[in-house]
Amino acid sequence: MSRWPRRAQYLLLIVWAVFTAMPFLWAITTSFKDVNAVQGHVTYVPWLEFEPTLEAWRQIFGGAGGVNLVGPFVNSLIITVCASAIAIVLGALAAYGLSRFRYRIGPAKNKDIVFFFVSQRIMPPVVLVIPFFFLLQMPGLLDTRLGLIIVTVALLLPIAVWVMVDFFDNIPREIDEMAMLEGCTPMQAFLRAIVPNSAPGLTVAAMFCAVFGWNDFFFAFRLTFTQVQTLPQAVVALNSSIPPWWTLSAAALFGIIPLLVLAVLVERYLSKGNLAGAVR
Amino acid sequence: MATLTLENVAQTYNPGEDPDRWALKPLELTLESGRTYALVGPSGCGKTTLLNILSGLVTPSHGRVTFDGVDVTSTPTRLRNIAQVFQFPVIYRSMTVRDNLAFPLECRGWPRSRIEERVRAVAEALGLADGLDVPASRLSADEKQLISLGRGLVRDDVAAVLMDEPLTVIDPQLKLSLRRKIRQLSDEFAPTVIYVTHDQYEAMTFAQELLVMSEGRLIQRGTPEQLFESPSSTFVGWFVGSPSMNFLRGTLERGAARVGEHLIDLAWSPPVPHGSEVTVGIRPEYIRIVDGGSHPGDASETSVHGRLVAVQDHGESRVCEIQVREQQVAVKVRREVHVPKVGSFVDLGLPRSKCLPYVEGRLATCGD
Amino acid sequence: MSVVAQSLTSWVDGEAHLDDVTLTLEPGRIHTVLGRTGAGKTSLLRVLAGLSDVDSGDVLLDGRSLREVPPWRRETAMVYQQFINYPHLTALENVMFPLRRAKVPAAEAQRRAKEALEQVGLTHLSDRRPGALSGGQQQRVAIARALARRARILLLDEPLVNLDFKLREQLREELRGLFSGVGETVVVYTTTEPAEALMLGDEVIVMHEGRVAQVGSPAVIFETPATTAVARVVNDPPMNVIPGTLQGEHVAVRGLDLLPRASHLAGFADGPYLVGIPAPSLTFGTGPGVLATITFVEISGSETFVHVDLQGTELVVRAEGIHDVSTGDRVSMTVDPSRLFLFTEDGTLAAAPPHGRS
Repeated sequence: MSRWPRRAQYLLLIVWAVFTAMPFLWAITTSFKDVNAVQGHVTYVPWLEFEPTLEAWRQIFGGAGGVNLVGPFVNSLIITVCASAIAIVLGALAAYGLSRFRYRIGPAKNKDIVFFFVSQRIMPPVVLVIPFFFLLQMPGLLDTRLGLIIVTVALLLPIAVWVMVDFFDNIPREIDEMAMLEGCTPMQAFLRAIVPNSAPGLTVAAMFCAVFGWNDFFFAFRLTFTQVQTLPQAVVALNSSIPPWWTLSAAALFGIIPLLVLAVLVERYLSKGNLAGAVR
Repeated sequence: MATLTLENVAQTYNPGEDPDRWALKPLELTLESGRTYALVGPSGCGKTTLLNILSGLVTPSHGRVTFDGVDVTSTPTRLRNIAQVFQFPVIYRSMTVRDNLAFPLECRGWPRSRIEERVRAVAEALGLADGLDVPASRLSADEKQLISLGRGLVRDDVAAVLMDEPLTVIDPQLKLSLRRKIRQLSDEFAPTVIYVTHDQYEAMTFAQELLVMSEGRLIQRGTPEQLFESPSSTFVGWFVGSPSMNFLRGTLERGAARVGEHLIDLAWSPPVPHGSEVTVGIRPEYIRIVDGGSHPGDASETSVHGRLVAVQDHGESRVCEIQVREQQVAVKVRREVHVPKVGSFVDLGLPRSKCLPYVEGRLATCGD
Repeated sequence: MSVVAQSLTSWVDGEAHLDDVTLTLEPGRIHTVLGRTGAGKTSLLRVLAGLSDVDSGDVLLDGRSLREVPPWRRETAMVYQQFINYPHLTALENVMFPLRRAKVPAAEAQRRAKEALEQVGLTHLSDRRPGALSGGQQQRVAIARALARRARILLLDEPLVNLDFKLREQLREELRGLFSGVGETVVVYTTTEPAEALMLGDEVIVMHEGRVAQVGSPAVIFETPATTAVARVVNDPPMNVIPGTLQGEHVAVRGLDLLPRASHLAGFADGPYLVGIPAPSLTFGTGPGVLATITFVEISGSETFVHVDLQGTELVVRAEGIHDVSTGDRVSMTVDPSRLFLFTEDGTLAAAPPHGRS
């Protein structure tokens, strides 16, 4: 066998790697530029090709002429963390029930109920936003963090249920049965025998919830106005007739930080082997 | 079908490693065309390494592998023309049974009519002829495993079929019938089969010949009867048969084994000096409980005295545990045979021809 | 202290899993439940454990109904055929788990858990998690966990079926010793293997199609099986049961030559019967006799089971020792007429051969 195909494979991979890494590189360099440096052809090497400046970063943290993104960042963080946590807890409980007990709602059986949950995400958001608007309006929760948390929980729950049902289905039923025979009530069996063995499933579900929650723009945009602004909303608000690429880049990088932290944590956790082989 | 040979093949994963620790110690082996072989031994004995060398997944660090005389030592798996059945059924779930079986032939560019004919013949043998258009995903685990095997059998030019613990994921209840089916299929299609398992029951029922491995060595090769009658080592004596062979430790004295006050006659005298350690190996089936008053042993039998400590009812037979000095001897007797009360002393008759001498765990050669 | 099952009946999808099962299970005795797959063994255990409901019937413990008692208050230990342990706990923690749930103080629980692990020979692996143990070791942990609790009811559902042949043999031996220390516990052990049931059981319960077919000591069950179904499950390989007739001095069985009527078959009216031919009563060889063709050979432990086709009748022969015989060989068959069983046409035992002084 010739070695060329192998080399071609590497070449292709390098091209792909550059292609995916480029936007980041571009964003990082741009966030240290000012209006002059952005003009003309694309430059990458600071000090040599352009004079780096912290202006963009100053602006997003409330510097003169900028918008302070710290408030929206904290809002997003609170909403995402709370909503994800609630969705995981409720989702895991619902999923455990759906995995272990038989339900019937009219003609619908367990599988149909799970599909019903997931179907919430199939609908276009526009369809959902109107009922949400009225639901929040009545108790006066429009434009509040609590209101947005409730809506986000509703949006994340289907994801959590879907991931966890599949996960629980793969844990032998005999494990909870045995826990019950050994003196656990069904709830204790869930907490003591199943949850400790569900770290991989819970991690995956939490990751999905966090990413979806963090990136939501549409619902925040429609359900909050002045009091509560989330990060995606604030970033969009930065836009003006001439896109301020430098501040946009800094904002984008700022917004990625929590997801990066999450990715590193999950990766650490995975590589510690805590997840592998936890359940046969 | 092909004859497979291994010439001085050995495998080590770390060059320079002590040869005593190699995963597979140097081995000469010929596997004849159309026969069924079982590679048996506990996990870590080297059987999987040997299988991988045959399949081409591993290129041996030493020696030569040939198929029908052609050197294939460094030929990759896909060019060796072998079929493999793994622990987990490997099938195309989206395809029908027919397409699964036809796939290997289509890949070889067989004409459509010939494929149809061959697929039908194999499906019939598998007992799946009525379900040819069923999607494979709907089959049960044992049926899927049959399809995996069938995909190997459709190729009439296949050099060998390698099976790696194919019954692992099958329900115990279905194992018996699947084992039987696999056996019948290999009788019918007569490919060269190498079947890896750690279960002696499976191995003996399946294979015409067994290759018993332990610690990277081929310990014994033979038919089930040969392994049962004259195990080449105490390991084989333990591994084959249930209950296992008895082993009584003693010392050599005048060509016999001294065990306490008993001098046990041996089938032959091992070529070791007087006073050396020798172990008597005898199968529980061959020991007689000498009933008080009935015919005492004659010259062809050594009489051994011991205390009956337990009796197990196995239905058709009983297994008696007898304490002979500080050693335990199992004796298997048919149900009709009278067994004295537990706790009483009994005389055992050990036929000379069945008392095999083992020295350092190996069956001693005939000294004469 | 006994456990009584009172006409337990359970239907699932129009199929009787348990059909009027009545049993008395005594403490300190090992009850082995022998039956094929689907005979209702597992259903019985699940009902005793409170994991499954019944359509009718009840389980009584010391005369008290357990019907309303949920599994977590039944003091029942169970060993499954899959090696079920808590994956996130070490072997020691696994064994301690039920003790801690039962409010046994930590020190005491640890002592008892260590003792149980020692009994099953796993002291050196008590810090390992199940994932790092072999199948046999995992099952030992499960057994230790069940034993350490000293529960009132100990249920074992084919605990050895998923193990290798040699491991099964070894653990079976050990179980005999372990069971001798169960004290006042009611032990119920299910299996499909006759030798296991006979060897471990003080009492053998044979189940067939959801019903209790026979209850008795191992010797009674083996020597006088009440029905053809019992005769088949209690023998390995299953007893050959073939229609035949008693004709004066002879027994006529399809495919075989006329056999002389042995003394234990005297006193029965001539006519059609079902004849039970135990596999070991058949011998094959090269001498005179009816010719049969070998269709399949199995080797089980130290016996060879030879399946033959005798002019259209399928028979299985059990030969002691391991023999190299091949499919397709023609062999002559002979039967020992003194070992035949006789069943009426509806399958009830009429006559059994006199067995050895047992």
